Amino acid sequence: MRRTPLSIAVSTALLGAALSMPAHAQTPTELELARKLDRLAAELAEVKAQLATLRAQGGNAGTAAAASEAGTATRAAPAPATADAAPAAGRPTRAELPTRAELAEPATVLTSYGEINYTRPTKAPQDAQVDLRRFVLGFQHRMDSKTRLVAELEVEHAVSSADDPGEVALEQAFVERELGARLAARAGLFLIPAGMLNENHEPTAYYGVHRNFVETAIIPSTWREVGVQLIGNLDNGLTIQGGLSTGFDVGKWDATSTEGAESPLGAIHQEGAQARARNLAVFGAINWRGVPGLLVGGSAFSGAASHSQPLLPSARVSLWDLHARWSPGRWDLSSVYARGSISNTAALNATLVGNPTLIPERFDGWYLQGAYRLWSQGDYVLSPFVRLERFNTARDYADLGAGLTPQAAGTERVTTVGVNFLVGQGVVLKADVQRFGLVSANNRVNLGLGWSF
Amino acid sequence: MPSLPPIPLAGIRRPRHALLSLATALAACGSGESALAPAPGTNTVQLSAAAALGEKIFRDPGLSASGRQSCASCHDPDNAHAPANALAGQPGGALLDQQGGRQAPSIRYLDTNRAFRFDDEGTPTGGFFWDGRAASLQQQAGEPFLNPREMANPGKAEVVAKLARASYEAEFRALYGNEVFADVDGAFQRMTLALQQYQLEDAGFHAYTSKYDEFLRGRAKLSEQELRGLALFNDPSKGNCAACHPSGRGSDGSLPLFTDFSYDALGVPRNPELQQNADPAFYDLGLCARPAGDLAARTDLCGAFKVPSLRNVARRHTFFHNGRFRALKEALTFYVQRDTDPRKWYPLDASGQPVKFDDLPPAYRANVNTSEAPYDRKPGDAPALSDSEVDDVVAFLDTLSDDYQP
Repeated sequence: MRRTPLSIAVSTALLGAALSMPAHAQTPTELELARKLDRLAAELAEVKAQLATLRAQGGNAGTAAAASEAGTATRAAPAPATADAAPAAGRPTRAELPTRAELAEPATVLTSYGEINYTRPTKAPQDAQVDLRRFVLGFQHRMDSKTRLVAELEVEHAVSSADDPGEVALEQAFVERELGARLAARAGLFLIPAGMLNENHEPTAYYGVHRNFVETAIIPSTWREVGVQLIGNLDNGLTIQGGLSTGFDVGKWDATSTEGAESPLGAIHQEGAQARARNLAVFGAINWRGVPGLLVGGSAFSGAASHSQPLLPSARVSLWDLHARWSPGRWDLSSVYARGSISNTAALNATLVGNPTLIPERFDGWYLQGAYRLWSQGDYVLSPFVRLERFNTARDYADLGAGLTPQAAGTERVTTVGVNFLVGQGVVLKADVQRFGLVSANNRVNLGLGWSF
Repeated sequence: MPSLPPIPLAGIRRPRHALLSLATALAACGSGESALAPAPGTNTVQLSAAAALGEKIFRDPGLSASGRQSCASCHDPDNAHAPANALAGQPGGALLDQQGGRQAPSIRYLDTNRAFRFDDEGTPTGGFFWDGRAASLQQQAGEPFLNPREMANPGKAEVVAKLARASYEAEFRALYGNEVFADVDGAFQRMTLALQQYQLEDAGFHAYTSKYDEFLRGRAKLSEQELRGLALFNDPSKGNCAACHPSGRGSDGSLPLFTDFSYDALGVPRNPELQQNADPAFYDLGLCARPAGDLAARTDLCGAFKVPSLRNVARRHTFFHNGRFRALKEALTFYVQRDTDPRKWYPLDASGQPVKFDDLPPAYRANVNTSEAPYDRKPGDAPALSDSEVDDVVAFLDTLSDDYQP
């Protein structure tokens, strides 16, 4: 295959632009794109080798292309010192030829995202607060063209100590291996493919200062488990994910706390921290992107959650969702429905009667969201949005007998109206107003700054 | 009911003796949880030599000045290791004519307790005796031998001399050396160590054989009334008992101990049956008045006493540190009506007003817990529990007695 200097320059520029996308991209689409980049990088390395040969043969014939190439390489791959940044000086020996990895991309990429929020309850302004909600540092290290390590370390609420509210946690730590052109495998601590937010939770990826309730209270984003996962991308636009992982621990349920009422699964997740693993869970997700601008998908998760612990009746946690996103023109429309259940809660709750927070049998929620790219200039984009949510963290309880069975929780109705203002590809300013239909005391105004790269 | 996982047999672990027992105790402390979830009927394990010796010491009245009082006299194994009578204070002294100043508590379910401390939030926690002054079962076991109101030995030498004449003297020598009695302090220390070992090893001190234990194991069902009582016990707006007496399975799968090992000032009425209370200037101040004086400056702790386990509470004949009440229902009713009907519990002053918390000097009455349910009420309010609800809670507490037979 022969390439002209122009085509090389274009390819290099495309590669550089692609590499500037968020390095923690996790969606199947982005994953597929990353693999294509790999293939493109391989081709580019081959072309560069050919170009070096041409230079040696034709003197200054390739000078312009070499200059362009060097500049692009510096932008796209600042980490390793690249041989082609140096002027061409005679025919390089075989040993002096840049390696493919040196030419194509850095082996290690630093990533980060974070958000700082201001929240002011409209009926209790004295409770207004600013919170460095999360700050995440991550990296990807590509061990070879088919193998990479992805890790993210998160600090929540700025300061983590015995006397402060923050916490430090590993959000992801997994190895991914490309098994073929359309198949990859992951092992380690990874995000479960559920809903649309969990795997794409950076502040630049969602509307509103705070993450939506359905994908935090029902789907416990950021939800990660330790396990193995296969990811397949088919030519027809289908991405299929599935695997085995750790699951929840119902023994962590604290009936005296309100945590379980805020997020039933958030109260019993394990996050790879000495996670009980007597039983493993199965999960799967299917997403279809066969039509440009359209995403339709769903996911399911199910796993035993008692792990044969003493005094703990057996139980199973299941969660599934359906989601869709359509982006016609300036519009960005999306919806998620998620529903979870915990089995055998009558036995689980029998010893907890009278406590404030018993284990619900079922919990669910949905939202509809519409955003419109109202204005853009240069790399500024202004997108107002509206989101309607309905969710219930305790829709049903198992019958414990008269006077002992808790009343089902009310369904909260949240309307969020706001705007996202993108500054370039990596910074977002946000503002919104949230109105709560059930507990209006929670009404609030939010401002936020987020970044992601 | 679902099938339950196998529960570790306590007996399998017993022979590992004190080290393991103390290790598991340390692991579970402060949570109000037991270290294990043993199956019932495990009291068939052979005691170690030290524990077997400890049992003989425990039951030996010859070690008291009177010759008629043993550990078992006040901690009767047939009465949940608590007094078998309804006296306000147990008789002691060389002539058994001295009355104890506080009610003798049950010494069951103490194997996971640990030394007194202030936890991360500054809450006083742990320790043995009503004021937590002993740091271990061993230290606790030694004090009654020398207390003039109890076994009343003048000193350790007299106790050791009695040990040297005991029927099990040869066993003591065999275990601790032929010359052990020559060292008074050493012999006394080994005696209390044997007593501690007995309490750690003998499953009778932590049997977990109540109906409620079987309920938690999924092998028994509570009656409707008992379930109602459990719900009222747990409910923060009703009994709120579980706030200090946790009733749920521990996060590690352990059975609950019905105490969080903390301290509270309840304002229990003065008990005229205690002879020490004949002196109107005398007040039993509890935590701030420990003999060592280490908490004397903490006047905010005056009036606070240890929260006891409620296991076997239905088998007790007197309640609270001063033995003021003799019926469980009366004790529960006091909890819920203390603030709604204080006239029922406290004497009236010259102006006809009830003197609340009369067993504390006026300066310390503000230490009494009045902020949480069921105390957070005023005269005329409805009690947190009605009379029938108190009956329900009593029915539930009945399920906490060991030796349940279906």
